[in-house]
Parts: sequence; structure tokens; C-alpha cells
Amino acid sequence: MPHPECVAVVGVGHTRYGKLPEYDAYELGLWALKQALADSGLRFEDIDGLIVNRIPDYQRFCEIAGMNPSYVSITPGQGRFSGICIETAAALIRDGLANTVALVYGNNGRSGGDRYGGAGDTYGSGGGGQWFAYGMTSPGAFHALMARRHMELYGTTADQLGTVSKTFRDHAALNPSAVMRNPFTLADYHASRYICEPLHLLDYCLINDGGVALILTSGERARDLAQPPVHVRGYGMATALAGSSFPPDDFWRAAMRKATAKSFRAAGITHNDISALMIYDNFTPTVLFSLEGFGYCGEGESGSFVTEGHLALGARYPTNTSGGHLSESYMQGWALNLEAVLQVRGACGERQVKDCAFAHYMATAPVVTSIIYGREAS
Amino acid sequence: MRPLPTVDGADRPFWQALRHGEVRVQRCGSCGACRFPATLFCPHCRSETSEWHAVEPTGIIETWCVFHRAYFDGLDVPYTVIQVRLDCGVRLFSNPVGVEARALHIGLPVEAVFEDITADITLLKFKLRKAQR
Repeated sequence: MPHPECVAVVGVGHTRYGKLPEYDAYELGLWALKQALADSGLRFEDIDGLIVNRIPDYQRFCEIAGMNPSYVSITPGQGRFSGICIETAAALIRDGLANTVALVYGNNGRSGGDRYGGAGDTYGSGGGGQWFAYGMTSPGAFHALMARRHMELYGTTADQLGTVSKTFRDHAALNPSAVMRNPFTLADYHASRYICEPLHLLDYCLINDGGVALILTSGERARDLAQPPVHVRGYGMATALAGSSFPPDDFWRAAMRKATAKSFRAAGITHNDISALMIYDNFTPTVLFSLEGFGYCGEGESGSFVTEGHLALGARYPTNTSGGHLSESYMQGWALNLEAVLQVRGACGERQVKDCAFAHYMATAPVVTSIIYGREAS
Repeated sequence: MRPLPTVDGADRPFWQALRHGEVRVQRCGSCGACRFPATLFCPHCRSETSEWHAVEPTGIIETWCVFHRAYFDGLDVPYTVIQVRLDCGVRLFSNPVGVEARALHIGLPVEAVFEDITADITLLKFKLRKAQR
């Protein structure tokens, strides 16, 4: 008998990823939602809660989809919002504001010509323009600044960053949905051009078009649906927004620790119980900061943790088994959550992590989210 | 044309001071915390009173990166961006003058260089400074 407050993911769906100029963000979202409904065995009429992300307008989306959910909301197209939306959906269901919530993400950034850097850049408290005269722009440069500091403080190396990217590419080779599937060597990594040193092209995520949808409902309802439910066993959130137009002194560790403690306490498990990690990998250094802040290795030890091989399939903590943002597609956390669900279902085929009872999604940025998915309700 | 800062907005006193070889930032009239860019309320104590205060044009390098991809016309790559913390606590992004990126490290002391780029606009850049003993 599931705990009355237990929430589960019961449907997941996604579009193809890549260049899809014939679809706008609404259509990509709707395509993914249809897939998620088919996956769950639910109908459009069963959805009474909806949160759209990166889709420009919730009203237009509902008009296109012919939906009248009881609860509706919209969130900005920043990757940190995938975790926020999932945690919010769980809270809505637990509080009875909605029974079955669809989370719908649509991103036509590649065909739409979205740029992350230059004149239109607002990364960092919306105020990037302040520093354009000095050439400072882009989330990539922000993370390059953080990576350099990590290298200086802890001796982190380019090889260690490259190993993150290479490991995820090896995983992507096993994922038919991944955009980039050709494995590369560390020599290839070093030969790839710098975008913002110390970061190379292969340290950056892949901007693509695509959509992802997740459907969540109560553990009670989840029992009768088409797929084995994947339970949202614990979640936590924390922020480091004050002063956030500059990189944080602590690599967001304080916020990560808070979110981690909350999510693991709710789940009633420890790091030892986790079988797979899904780490928000907008850039490779974010993976290092996350391994430290979410408690998988000590402060400053993430570089060697990675080169010891722990993130590879078959190792202790297989990470971003889909290829992640670096090799599958930059679906802003959504596809990583989808992968976590598939891993816990045991539906990942060639890239399945053995006996994956728990998967941990984590994202670090000025907003930190930590979500633990489990096979059992409690 | 290289990107130019907006010098006639809320940060106008900062840009005017640079013309005269001074660094001025906003200082809270209540708690004394310095801040830049300008905000109406102090983020530390939320007071609405402030003044533009001349501060020591010195600080340290916190980190840096080197742009190899060009995002702006008129700025040739590669170029280096440094993150500086002024002694008053205010952080800035800027460019180093007279030093290669490979010679940088965390905590290096720097001092202001006032670089005129147009008849009306001076940028605040930094050069290395000998540590005070």
C-alpha cells in the first residue's frame, strides 16, 4: 500500500532531438505530451494540472492541445526550472490541488537561432549587458571562470573535464535518441577548439530542438496504469541568488548541501543506495561541482573521482547514461529526469544500469534542485 | 564597433568618476556596504539611501577566462576577462592590462588602469600591483 502522500511519474515522452525547423516550441511540447500520455495509458481528459516550461504561452498551448486543466502555470526557459517544476508538481498532487499533472517542455532554440552570449545575453541576474564592453558574456564564460578557479584551488585538470565529456559520449553511443553518438578520445578533446578557455567545444552542451513531457500522479492512482510507477521519493531545493551575477565562492556547495539533505531525508536512504546519477551538465565543470556539493566525493576531489572511472556504465555511479546535455541533447534537465525514470523502470536497454532501485537527479546553478526517484513507494 | 557601456543610466556617477581617474561605487547610507551596478535599495539592509563613494582603486584577481570565440564585433579574440574583487568588496568583470593570461593566478593584487575608449567613455581595467608589505 503506497504512502498516501507518495507521488509517482507514470508517463514520459519525448520528441526526436536535433534540428526540427518544421515544429515550434508549442508543437514540440504537444508531440512530447502525446508520447507521455500514450506511455502512461492516460488521456488528455485525465490531466487536471499543467505546467509548461520554455513554451512561450500557457493559454496558447492549452488552446492548441484542447485542454482545460484545473491548475495551470508557466515557467521561464532556464534549465534550473525542470527540477522546480517536478518538485512543484509533486507538491500540487500531495496537496490535492491536482490529481494528475503534466509537465511539458518545448524548445525550438536551435531552429529559432537562440544565442547564449553576445548582445542579447541576459545570463546572471538579467544584467549581462553591464560587462559587454569588457567582452564578458555567456553562461559558458561564467562556468569557464568557475572552472579556472577550481583548477587553481584544487589542481583540477583539463583531462578531468575531458573525461566527463568523453564518458557521457560513450554512454550516448548506446542511446538511439542521442544527437552525438561517435565516441572520442582525450586527444580529440584537447584538439577541439577553445570556446572560452579553459573550456573547449566538447565542454559545452548541445543546443537542439526538442520536447519532453512527464506525467505525475499519486502513488495510489499510479498502481493501475500502464507502466510501473517510478516514485518521487525525495526532493529538495535551495538557492544562492543573492550576488549571483558573479560566480559563487563556494561553487554553490551550501545550497547543494541543503537540497541534498532534504531530499535524502525525505527518501529515507543514503548515497550508498543510489545506483545512477543524472547531473545537470550544461558544461563539464558543473558535473564536478555537483559531485562535490551533492555529496558523492569530497571538496576538491571531483576531478580525480571522475578519472578513477566512477561515472561510467558498469562502475559505481553511472552518470548521464543517456549522454546528457553534452551528447544527447540540451533539453535543460528534462531529458535527464526522463532518463532517471527509464533507468528505475529498467527500460534502458543496452545502457541499463543493473538493478537500479534509485536514481538521483541533481542540478546546480543559483537555484539547486535534488530529486530522488525510487522503484518502491517507500 | 566594439560594445559600449550605457554611461548615462543609473551608473552615471561611476562612469563620470572614471573620466577623472577615480573609482566610485554606491555606498549604502545605512549599513555602509558598497555595491555596483546601481540599485535603488541596498541588497544587504534594503535601505534606500546611498551615495557615490570614491574607493581605493585596488583589489585582487579572483579568477579569469580567455575568450576564443568572438561574440562582439570590434573585440578581437583571444582576449582575457578577469574577475576582480575591489578592496571595498565590490566585484567587477574587466580586462587585464600588460599581463598575459598564463601569468595570472588567484589572489594577485591589481590596481586600476583608466582606459579612454571614446571621447566620453573610459573603461576600468587593471594591471598587476606589487603586494604591500
